[in-house]
Amino acid sequence: MVAEALKLDNVTKSFSGTEIIRGLNLGINENERHAVIGPNGAGKSTAYNLITGRYEVTSGKIFLKGQDITNLQPYEVKRKGLSRSFQITNIFPKMSVFENVRCSLLWAMDYKYSFWHLVGKQKALNESAEKIIEDLNLKERRDTLAGVLSYAEQRALEIGITIAGGSEVILLDEPTAGMSVSETEYIVGLIRKVTEGKTLVVVEHDMGVVFDLADRISVLVYGEIIATGTPIEVKENKAVQEAYLGAALEEEH
Amino acid sequence: MPSQTTSTISFSSLVPWLIAALVLCVMPFIFTGGGSITIMNQIGITIVLAMSYNMLLGQGGMLSFGHAVYMGLGGFVAVHVMNIVENQEIWLPLPLLPLVGGLVGLGFATIIGSFSTRKAGTVFAMISLGIGELIAACCIIITVFFGGEEGISGDRTMAPPTFGVEFITQKEVYFLIAFWVLISTFLMYLFTQTPVGKMANAVRDNPERAEFVGYSMRWVRYVSFCAAGFFAGIAGALFAINFEILTEQNLNLGASFTVLLATYIGGVGFFLGPIVGAILFTLLQTVIGLQTDLWALYTGVVFILMVMFMPAGLTGLFAMHIIPWQLGRIGMLIKPYSKIFIPGTIFIVGAVCLTELINHVRHHGDEEFMTLFWVEFNTRSIVPWGVFIIFTAVGFWFSRALAVEVKEAWGNATFVEGVRR
Repeated sequence: MVAEALKLDNVTKSFSGTEIIRGLNLGINENERHAVIGPNGAGKSTAYNLITGRYEVTSGKIFLKGQDITNLQPYEVKRKGLSRSFQITNIFPKMSVFENVRCSLLWAMDYKYSFWHLVGKQKALNESAEKIIEDLNLKERRDTLAGVLSYAEQRALEIGITIAGGSEVILLDEPTAGMSVSETEYIVGLIRKVTEGKTLVVVEHDMGVVFDLADRISVLVYGEIIATGTPIEVKENKAVQEAYLGAALEEEH
Repeated sequence: MPSQTTSTISFSSLVPWLIAALVLCVMPFIFTGGGSITIMNQIGITIVLAMSYNMLLGQGGMLSFGHAVYMGLGGFVAVHVMNIVENQEIWLPLPLLPLVGGLVGLGFATIIGSFSTRKAGTVFAMISLGIGELIAACCIIITVFFGGEEGISGDRTMAPPTFGVEFITQKEVYFLIAFWVLISTFLMYLFTQTPVGKMANAVRDNPERAEFVGYSMRWVRYVSFCAAGFFAGIAGALFAINFEILTEQNLNLGASFTVLLATYIGGVGFFLGPIVGAILFTLLQTVIGLQTDLWALYTGVVFILMVMFMPAGLTGLFAMHIIPWQLGRIGMLIKPYSKIFIPGTIFIVGAVCLTELINHVRHHGDEEFMTLFWVEFNTRSIVPWGVFIIFTAVGFWFSRALAVEVKEAWGNATFVEGVRR
């Protein structure tokens, strides 16, 4: 059997005695686009934080392509080929757009803690950075400080930093939160383009985006997955409708 | 391995360095006095130290209260090596001594950094403070190595001559220091352009995100810390060569605060900031220090004002003017600036004279006359008191009134439709 790109095996997490994640089981296939939905406070961001080593898991195991990554440090998880974005924009505000992207490429391109390479002279590195900026549609903002970009541009850069370095598994946390319709379209198009051929997990509240983007959907309610399946299967699932989707879909219309 | 570089270092990128080298060569022929060469030597040493400090504070976001430790330890070992060389137990030409100091600084930074860089912020600052106190205390206790309160001294001229130069005169030492200032500054600049130098900025800006792009923030800080220790050690050895003596004063908290002040006044956000700071601070210390006992007070006031009103430092103040310059509106600022210059100067002169007068009466009360700004007057008379108070008050009042105009002119000179600043 081919190992799943990402697998959570009965993962739990408690904060000072309260169980926030209660036995999370999730399997993400390779090259699929998987959406995780659920009401606020269901534990979606917490799950991301557990996978990426920001929090320690209380019990259970997490596997990346069959490799145990439970409780590794964030940088170790990244080095193993998993990269994430953040719900609240998390960029390098005092560096230019170009520097933001270039820094995100350094480890993946094997520069490690080098103090004997001059970044300006590294042709492949700079070309990759330029290419990503072009993909992000941020060419005109190349030398602008990331901190003064518009919100949508910062969200785009956030995705750029996440995908730079070619991680095979990408976790996006509410990439379109707080965006207008046209900005959402731009970001969704961008996500499609830059995650081509990769495994994508996306937490999202905008159901339009979710059903548009995802191959499969998992519904997370109170720290547990109550359903996983194709968009149609999930939409028709009774438990899902009761717990979450009914309300969410009504809100849309 | 990363792909190979494609081009060699271009000539145009070397131009600023060649100019700097030229300036350094010409300086001792412009300022020929023995005193000025001594000051320039001191400036050179402070530049290397402040630049190395900025690798921590400006580039890496690490606030250290104990950076002088690495300079001091490098310096102490350098003096010992100087004495060993004098006894002809080892052969080492003087110009290579800074390398020894650098390696000592690097060595200690490697040890101390291994635990102090685990956390940034308050934890790092507190550990640096503790280490600073600890080493300073050791300095007094371990007399065999540090020589107690008198410190230890050496003789640089006893080293084997380098191409016939024995480094007897200050001018010869000047060129040695200038050489190392240039080399160190150049290397520190290159460091900012390396992967780890870039990541130091990233960790400073957003340590968490840096971890999510694959870098351990701790290791990034550690590498910067070691590099900063290396260059501080070089500064220490230069100090040893220039002054031929090192004492506890060179590595205690006072010395660490001095470098913090100098770097901050120059501007931590800019590569050139510490150079500006080192020059200005050393001049304040030496030139003004000769004129008045109160130089430390003035430095303190300048520091507080900088922190409050110009957190980007002097270099930041210059950099601010690039925008109106590019917009071609720098002319709009000349008039309001020159208008505020006169009352501003009157205020500063008044306040300084008043401070000096109070200090004089307080500490030299038996001397009836004092001289300020080449004018001698009687401190017992009411006239100087009145004049200084009026200067201060009137200067302050007019400066405040005109500050509104400056602010307005600044707004006009930098205003661009739709751009937030």
